[in-house]
Amino acid sequence: MRISERKTYDCEPTMTDTEVLEFCKNGYLMLEGVVPDDVNRRAMEYCDQHSYMEPSGILKEDWFVENVIVHPAAAGAVRSLLGTNFHLPILMSNHRVQCPIQAVGGWHVDGNYHYTHELNFLQVFYYPQDTPIEMGPTQIVPGTHLVRNKARFMGHLASIKGAIPTTAPAGSIFLTVYHIWHRRGPSTASGIRNLLKYFYWRTTPPQRDWVIEPDFDFATAQYTGPGGAYVEQFRDTIKVSEMFLWLCGRHKSFQNLGGQSWPLPADRNDLPYGFPAGLPQPQSVEL
Amino acid sequence: MTETQKETVKALVTELRQGTLTEANLREGIAGIVGADSPKRQDILYLQAVTTSPGAAVVGMLLVEDGELHEGPPNPEDWPYQTVLEAVRDGWRIISFPNMALLTVDEKEFYGLGAEFILERWR
Repeated sequence: MRISERKTYDCEPTMTDTEVLEFCKNGYLMLEGVVPDDVNRRAMEYCDQHSYMEPSGILKEDWFVENVIVHPAAAGAVRSLLGTNFHLPILMSNHRVQCPIQAVGGWHVDGNYHYTHELNFLQVFYYPQDTPIEMGPTQIVPGTHLVRNKARFMGHLASIKGAIPTTAPAGSIFLTVYHIWHRRGPSTASGIRNLLKYFYWRTTPPQRDWVIEPDFDFATAQYTGPGGAYVEQFRDTIKVSEMFLWLCGRHKSFQNLGGQSWPLPADRNDLPYGFPAGLPQPQSVEL
Repeated sequence: MTETQKETVKALVTELRQGTLTEANLREGIAGIVGADSPKRQDILYLQAVTTSPGAAVVGMLLVEDGELHEGPPNPEDWPYQTVLEAVRDGWRIISFPNMALLTVDEKEFYGLGAEFILERWR
């Protein structure tokens, strides 16, 4: 079967415990310049020849699927976050714009969002060309996948402390939680900017089957991320830990007993009170 | 009364005392004082702070000046105001405070960007 005819895919996971936890905190993962230049050039040519908004035909091209969609770095990250036999993309969008565009786009969450601790699909972007700040890369606010909002109530938001532009070299791929706050950046250079967007889907229940770190300690891991800058103290910590345990297939044991209990960060002299039962301990710890 | 308005009044009084005040000067002076010939514009400043205190750090901003939207400098450290109080000290007037009804929302969830103050000034 040709690679472009496959509906699902499996490969070795590439992310470690720490990297999966960082994804839960930040809501995105950037893989810089992983796609070879010749593939990037070919993708650019395809986009020029199919300049409409949804050039999904590129997903029927073996060279594209092989080198972008199931590229070991990207697919390994997707495999880590969505589990085995994840569903491959069936729709390709291209946020293709003619630069320069002086006006910045409005902050928004994409439609049909579903705020949850579950991660059942990934929104992924591929830059086939160098996208410096002058080309108006997408801006995101790390951690805001944990902060509920509605696009029609974000029109008055402008400069946000902590927002970052996803400047990246050609061949970069970045994965996001769907409802992270984002917008198009202003551009000052001239030319066409392509930004391909597609989705992968989970087909199996979550479990901790990525690259396990023997010393990873659920009790002392830091669950607080950049979302903490925008919410009530420790609320993001709790949300991140719940999302992480769900990904580990341990959501049934998740609990937060309030106060100074797990998963709040602290320098304790014992296991955190309320530490969920059955969570793995570091191999160096004798039980 | 602004300094400009005070100066206009002072000039009119001087002319009156000297007997040189004309009807045209009086009308022009009054128009200048009430701003009839130069309609003022409302500037708006949205500031999102980390708490409801006007002294809390600002995490977001949007400036509407002369009818145009302005993001402010890209680096938050260069924003014109780091707190709502700084804006107030600079002449901005708060016209909307964070809505305390938001406290009634689910305790485990958080919505939007911080505590939002809306300020205005007329120019």
